[in-house]
Amino acid sequence: MIIADRKPLEEILEMVHDCGSILLVGCKGCVTVCNVGGLKEVEILAATLRIARKKEGRPLEVAQRVLERQCDPEYLEPLRNDYDQFDAVVSMACGVGPQFLSEAYPSQRFYPAVNTRFMGGAVQHGVWEERCAGCGACKIHLFDGLCPIARCSKSLLHGPCGGSAGGKCEVSAEIECIWDKIVRKKMENGRLADLRVFRPAKDWRTSRDGGPRRSIREELVK
Amino acid sequence: MELRNRFDVGVFAILVELVPPKGVDISGMLRVAGRLADRVTAFVVPDMGAAVMRLSALGAAMLLQGRGLRTVMQVCCRDRNRLALQGDLLAAYAGGVTSLMVVAGEDLRFGDHHQAAAVNDLDLMELIEAVGVLAAGKDLSGAPLEGAPRFLCGTTVNVGLRDAALDAELDQMHCRAEAGAGFFVTTPVFDLESIGPFTARADIRRLNLVPTVMLLKSLGMARYIQRNMGHIHLPAALIERLQKAPDKTRESLRIARETITAIREAGFKGVLISPMGWEDHLPELFEHLE
Ligand code: SF4
Ligand code: SF4
Repeated sequence: MIIADRKPLEEILEMVHDCGSILLVGCKGCVTVCNVGGLKEVEILAATLRIARKKEGRPLEVAQRVLERQCDPEYLEPLRNDYDQFDAVVSMACGVGPQFLSEAYPSQRFYPAVNTRFMGGAVQHGVWEERCAGCGACKIHLFDGLCPIARCSKSLLHGPCGGSAGGKCEVSAEIECIWDKIVRKKMENGRLADLRVFRPAKDWRTSRDGGPRRSIREELVK
Repeated sequence: MELRNRFDVGVFAILVELVPPKGVDISGMLRVAGRLADRVTAFVVPDMGAAVMRLSALGAAMLLQGRGLRTVMQVCCRDRNRLALQGDLLAAYAGGVTSLMVVAGEDLRFGDHHQAAAVNDLDLMELIEAVGVLAAGKDLSGAPLEGAPRFLCGTTVNVGLRDAALDAELDQMHCRAEAGAGFFVTTPVFDLESIGPFTARADIRRLNLVPTVMLLKSLGMARYIQRNMGHIHLPAALIERLQKAPDKTRESLRIARETITAIREAGFKGVLISPMGWEDHLPELFEHLE
């Protein structure tokens, strides 16, 4: 899923500084699962914004809504009747949400309330980690299910760099060296020879380097 | 005379694009440069133009400067991050390069290494700013430099646009000038009248506008430009002239010469000649150019 973090309150207050009323829109997709933009978080942010603005002596009217998903035009319809009744709309979905909203309702201004971080999952309660960089040509089977593109700081594909020490990455002691893990796993499974294979330089066209991407599933296109 | 001084005193500058070799044999490049040296203010060395891998602009510019030939080194945003860009700018200046032309760089898909990853760490505006930061004696992290590079830094401008697109381009050009761009090389011009909407709204002398004159190597090339490159205006009369001419090469050079003369008479500060592989015809072009 897509992992996001809430923006600092000051930044959101700054965005809506000139507004007298806003509509705060959450999403029941990824951001609900990673506890950043679902019903509960929408309620908390709405209350916090109201209190902060009241303290400033310039009350802010905050309406709230949670959509099924913001990355699907059909689920944006519930906003059609009143999206323009507010000075701005603040989305708590990942970066896709405010963009779909802007495209659906071009006359309104949309602001992001979260910073979209990465594709990953929860490794413990309250901790999420990156697992995939969306390179568009998955190769994890070659690395025993551990992705060096997303998880090695240098996206190395031919073994660890010289900075790998004690299972940690040279970038920070907080970061595990994924190559240390890959090599250990290969050794345990007797597949170390896999790593002696030279692979030609990666084709980055399937990644962002080919420009913004599109996926077309012919059988579903009407 | 340095390009900067030429612009200052208003002596018409003649720039010639000189594409580095794909390989290590630099004899052709040096031969061309040597033959043209006394007619040319500086050679503009592209930085892997059209995203085709070649000997680097930095390498070629240093090789030319080392032989007493003046260069304008192109620097593109596509292939290097801010460390590499700054490091190469320092190297260039230390090696005698004093003029730059910063460009965004064509997308990799147009070149010969489609699978590469693009960098684009700095965009064009940020790169222009960075050149200014270095000139002020600091790097982008704020650390002081031992000796600052003071480049004349130009960039490009698209003069063939119309309406809202032209408004946006003019706006961007003025922002870039404010950020420190000291000259602007235009998209190819075949007919000054066609860029009237642009020149009417740009101070061509204060901004040091340098139109590009591209040699038309064949009728096919002229037709291709006319049909496929919407922002470059190539008048039908030119195609007709080429069509009727018994000696197409000579006619093409005559067309280029006339365009260069018109550019000078219109008050532009210089011209960039893009030979498109016709470097060997340049002596003939210059011979009849006053
Ligand atoms: S190889 Fe590519 S697609 Fe597969 S997990 Fe890594 S980044 Fe994601
Ligand atoms: S230490 Fe490990 S994870 Fe970090 S860059 Fe080197 S190989 Fe990659």
